[in-house]
Amino acid sequence: MGHADTQVAPARKSPLPEGRWLDVEGIRTRYFEAGSGEPMVFIYGGNFGTGDSASSAYTWSNQIGPLSAHCRAIVFDKVGQGETDNPKNDDYTMAAVVRHAAAFIRALKLPPVHLVGHSRGGYAATRLTLEHHDLVKSLTVVNSGTLSPGVGTNEVVLAKPPHPAGTRECVRWVYQNYSFNPDIVTDEWVDAVMHTLSLPKYQESVRKLGGEKLNTKLFLPELAREKRETLQWINEGRLQRPVQVIWGFDDRTAVIDRGVELYQMFARHERRALFHVINQSGHFPFREHPERFNALMRRWLESLA
Amino acid sequence: MIVFIHGGIPGITPYASGAHIWGPVLERFKGATALEVRGKTIDAMSEQVRNAIAGKGRCHLVGHDLGGLLALSVAIDAPHLVSAVTAVASVAAAPTGDGLADFTHAFPPAPLYGRESQRWALERVSYSHHHIDERLLDACVTAAAKQTRMSREDYAEHFVPSLMKAKSRFYEVCRTEGIKVPCQVIWGSHDPLSTFDHGLWLFRGIAQKQRVSQFHVVNRAGALPFREEPAAFHQVVAAFADVVDA
Repeated sequence: MGHADTQVAPARKSPLPEGRWLDVEGIRTRYFEAGSGEPMVFIYGGNFGTGDSASSAYTWSNQIGPLSAHCRAIVFDKVGQGETDNPKNDDYTMAAVVRHAAAFIRALKLPPVHLVGHSRGGYAATRLTLEHHDLVKSLTVVNSGTLSPGVGTNEVVLAKPPHPAGTRECVRWVYQNYSFNPDIVTDEWVDAVMHTLSLPKYQESVRKLGGEKLNTKLFLPELAREKRETLQWINEGRLQRPVQVIWGFDDRTAVIDRGVELYQMFARHERRALFHVINQSGHFPFREHPERFNALMRRWLESLA
Repeated sequence: MIVFIHGGIPGITPYASGAHIWGPVLERFKGATALEVRGKTIDAMSEQVRNAIAGKGRCHLVGHDLGGLLALSVAIDAPHLVSAVTAVASVAAAPTGDGLADFTHAFPPAPLYGRESQRWALERVSYSHHHIDERLLDACVTAAAKQTRMSREDYAEHFVPSLMKAKSRFYEVCRTEGIKVPCQVIWGSHDPLSTFDHGLWLFRGIAQKQRVSQFHVVNRAGALPFREEPAAFHQVVAAFADVVDA
């Protein structure tokens, strides 16, 4: 029995299927898909223009392959993130992200999808459902401090990483502090983030949001205004789709109480509302415990069939 | 193999529980069995469960209320027999604290354990009465006729002390070496016998040392979520079984 580090590493299988491109209302959009059957569309978190971390379709690399055995699993790069073009006319807003996501689903001509959103993507998925009921069959929200009411604690945990922005050390530090088990932040994950950060169009978004201050002048105030409206809509019972909330128990940036409160808002109006808590998981339960996360998703599909 | 363990104490719980309480959801689990458990103490009941599953390979124990505590006790004593535990609306296992008197079942209509009295009791622990069908009431009436009811004396002298002892031991193990098998807690959103926090704190106890642990809430369900929302209950149990029983 040899130690793992003395063995020859097997050739690494690409974590995502081969990427495709789609023109979505003039935005060149990168997406990945595998499998057949009912579509399940994943929306990752983060936003354009962040210099110390950067999400992309890779975030869901542990879902697309395994879940493609049970559904048509699709992940796309949001406008301005991953490899997808930046928004037109400097429209660096969450509303533009939601519009693009909805247009992407329409462009693929999908039947109503099982939408899964994490973190900022959980907000986008919920807002998309509230605005485009015809596109959505069910909603799953994962550790979304952006959507849930209450105090967000990202700054408490992540303000001013102790490494220069954009370095591997910085990226690793950020995701390790999001996580329960720091070892889940693999080189492959850091590589994927570094690739996004290196793209000229991404660097442009960093300049826009930071240098030109669109983050504080446009993105954050617009999001705050729309979040108020979004929470009102949920409280009014406007979601009207089966919904589950999945939460990593040890997330310090979106603590468990915020998940409870969000679940209870959904549950007041929707019979098919479920709350799932996964122990020893930080912000990314689908990366810390992919097998159990995927089993919940597969059985969710089955229960709604 | 999934083994279902009912809750309830004959003569104390005002409806007759037993293997029948699980109802139609059992048909969704291929090869599952539901036990009948009787006894005056937790130790005696746990031993029955242990004997029932010995030699069957490691079993995933799904226990309702008292059955949840029995499943956890067996997992502590004989982890080699258990692949996982699912504790459902397990008020028996949740922290006791200095709770409030619970009047949910305070004044059952006579005759006790008659059809209408049991209907009354089942309605009072449910979110909605819709799951209380003739099949369930028939089974409860039949079960009540066969049960030996625990006397108030036995309940106070033997059962409750054994319950408190088992709970102390359970929370001690949670805090020290930890429960040795994967565990999940399922709670009904509208359980009149407990609160959301009771379920979450039961999970918190287990989560201290058991990495593979989860907490789930099924909406619009009372103390019998497997009857009121069988599809959601099946999703949660089957998803856990997919991974931990594999």
